[in-house]
Amino acid sequence: MKKLSSGLLTLIVLFSLCVAATGVYAQEVGPSSVELPYTGNRTAVWVVAQLHILFAAFILGAPIFVVISEWLGYRKQDPRYDRLAKEITKVTVILFSMTAVTGGLFIFVLLAAYPQFTTSFINQFYMVFAVFYPALFIAETILMYAYLYTWDVWKGEKKGRHIALGVLLNLVCLLILFVINGPTSFMNTPPKAEGISPQDFILTATLWDKIANQSWFPLSLHRIDGNVAFGGFIAGMIAAYMYMGAKTQEERAYYDWMGFAAIWIAVGGSLLQPFTGLLLAYEMCDYDFSFCPYMMADQLSMFFEMQGMMIGLLFLAVNYYSWLSVKRIEGAENVRMTILAPIVLVVLLPITMWVMNKYWIPDPMSLAFLLPLTLSPFLLSRFVPKTVSARTVIKIGFIVMLVSDAVWLTPGGFVATGTDVPDELKLPEGWDYLSSMPAKLSAILTLVFVTVVNYVLYNRTIKQGTILWGKIDFVSQFVLIFLAFISTWTMGLMGAVRSLLKKYFHTYSLVSDLSAESFTPTLSYSAWWITAITIFFIAIVSVAALVALRPAVSRARELERSPIPVAAK
Amino acid sequence: MGNIFKKLSIGVVVGGVLVGIMRSQEVPSDFQVLFFTFSLIGAVVFVLLDASPIGGMSGGKSVVAVTIFWVLLITVCIAGASLLPQFDPEDERAKIDKLLGKERAASQKGKAEELIARAKALDEQVRALEERLKGLGRGQAASTSQTPPTTDKPSSTAGASSGASGDFMKVGEEQWQLQECYNCHKLRGEGGKKRGPELDNIGSLLTVEEIHQKIYDPKSIMAEGYEKEYQKGIMPDKFKDLMEPKEMQALAAWLGTFKNTSVNTPKPIKKK
Repeated sequence: MKKLSSGLLTLIVLFSLCVAATGVYAQEVGPSSVELPYTGNRTAVWVVAQLHILFAAFILGAPIFVVISEWLGYRKQDPRYDRLAKEITKVTVILFSMTAVTGGLFIFVLLAAYPQFTTSFINQFYMVFAVFYPALFIAETILMYAYLYTWDVWKGEKKGRHIALGVLLNLVCLLILFVINGPTSFMNTPPKAEGISPQDFILTATLWDKIANQSWFPLSLHRIDGNVAFGGFIAGMIAAYMYMGAKTQEERAYYDWMGFAAIWIAVGGSLLQPFTGLLLAYEMCDYDFSFCPYMMADQLSMFFEMQGMMIGLLFLAVNYYSWLSVKRIEGAENVRMTILAPIVLVVLLPITMWVMNKYWIPDPMSLAFLLPLTLSPFLLSRFVPKTVSARTVIKIGFIVMLVSDAVWLTPGGFVATGTDVPDELKLPEGWDYLSSMPAKLSAILTLVFVTVVNYVLYNRTIKQGTILWGKIDFVSQFVLIFLAFISTWTMGLMGAVRSLLKKYFHTYSLVSDLSAESFTPTLSYSAWWITAITIFFIAIVSVAALVALRPAVSRARELERSPIPVAAK
Repeated sequence: MGNIFKKLSIGVVVGGVLVGIMRSQEVPSDFQVLFFTFSLIGAVVFVLLDASPIGGMSGGKSVVAVTIFWVLLITVCIAGASLLPQFDPEDERAKIDKLLGKERAASQKGKAEELIARAKALDEQVRALEERLKGLGRGQAASTSQTPPTTDKPSSTAGASSGASGDFMKVGEEQWQLQECYNCHKLRGEGGKKRGPELDNIGSLLTVEEIHQKIYDPKSIMAEGYEKEYQKGIMPDKFKDLMEPKEMQALAAWLGTFKNTSVNTPKPIKKK
């Protein structure tokens, strides 16, 4: 008996020793407990986080898009807007669960890859992660489902109530965005004070200090308009798929219209994006100027070259879609515009470059020059009788866009580091103004202006001609898919940039990333992963769209085949 | 078809003219390629603008078309990103290894010492339990004294660096590279984007202590002609947290050796 008890005790001790030793190993050895295979820890966290952000961007952006559409339908008494809103809500509800799944996965991967950092980070934002965020997420879930399931109940006179519910859903969505952007932006720009080390300052900082850090508000603004644009582009892609699968002219007409409406809402968000993005970059550089060369001249310079390429393509594609839309409008050839429009289009880029060089942001003098110039085609047109055809204006716009894209893409040197740029790769003096920030901003402004002029022209054409829904050039559907791809890819790229800005820190200047992976990866490596993320995201969205929308279309077709007498309905 | 050739020819001609102008101005060939490519993209855009509408597709045909389009998009994105110049991570890795070296070593050392301490504590517990079992075996009421785990905390002073043994000036030069001062300041004709003053003559204008003060507290001294940059606080106030005192002293001492009077380093103005 004694031997047995002694043996048992020894076993228990040995077992506890093993458990303790494994525990010690699991918690302490190396920079993290788990080495994730194939990707490595940092890439695994990046991929899962980016996927989560894409789904989250859609479910936060789509409700804004949906409520605008529902309200337009109610105001114009056009049932197409209501159908569009409902269909996108159905897809959103499916993707809602994907957001939750990827969010959960993100926490698991983060905890596995960086347990100590994750624990300390959660401790910094305990109230956010344990109380605010879950409460808001639950509220959003309830409201989202209530919004979908009351659609057919709250109609007619009760439509206002339904729209109000949608607005409430959006308010909660916005609140979530602002709340979760607190910890996200904190990692880039934790609060600091002059003369005190960040480590000391953070000990006395309140939760509000940590949330309302320097990049919090601009990041939230940038994400709001980004989400609206993103929601629109994805809705455009869904419309393209449905158009391609449409069997009747009615369906084609509806999905042609859906693509058109989605793209113009997306363009509304896209036009603001460069400016809110610039504000974010401005605040980041103001926080720590070393971010600026790191982004624009050093390690990430070619990431921005790629960004310029993608956004240039995005603007070209949006305007090409608009051109294809104009082409199918009967009477479009008779639409004319004041000659001031093409003149301003041509002179805008060089004048803006001159103004921006002389009066750089935030000098308000630049507005004194640029506002009258850009508004002149609209304000002075009645005094200038000479006009040109809409098609000529659009074609001139394309040339201006190409030149602006070229200016945007011209780097100071064709090297991915600002340290030593050999002369054979550097823009010589006299040409270097093309690579300056004023030139880049002028190019962006010009691209936005061309798109606005095209939008005005497009609206004028619709009013003066007859739009033939369902008769758009089939190429336009590929343009819609292209736009969804480009916007998703660019979001992935800029997500990588924002995260990489932390350099070799988990939280900039506060918590170092001691792992061997804390360096800037190459653009090529990043592009492979961004592409993989984009494909996965778009594949899931495509499946969700088919699951949510195909049955409704099939049901409508069946009803058409076996019509029920009106009285029986 | 004639339309396509006409537009592509215009694109080639415009591109050729641009390349000609750039060559005459000795603009590097990469930029010539960029502008020529843009002319061709322009031609393609105008071909697309005037292209005849394509007929609709449905069913399997549209699925195949979309799939091919996807493959094309993926190829263009990956190829585009891969064709651009790539930053060599090894450059940065070497720097990060130096910057985080001490922190990593401290972290590893701390972990190893804690492991040893825990193992020792567990060993003590096993011995105490064995004693207790022996006591029980002899039928005696053993007066057990549970040995508390010894918490041999790692000595915080153990990791004191012996950097002083190295070449002091080399440490300073290394800090210049590690902290990427060259991103804003030109020195020996290298680096700098006019964000900060050229420093080749800084040693004639400031003492080593004053240079140290400027790095420690960037608001203490302003360079003449850099009022805007000073107001905006372009020089980050973070180096005192990123560098050890000795490293900062080494950087200041190294910069103090630059006394090239032929370079117009702006006059420093004391602010504090």
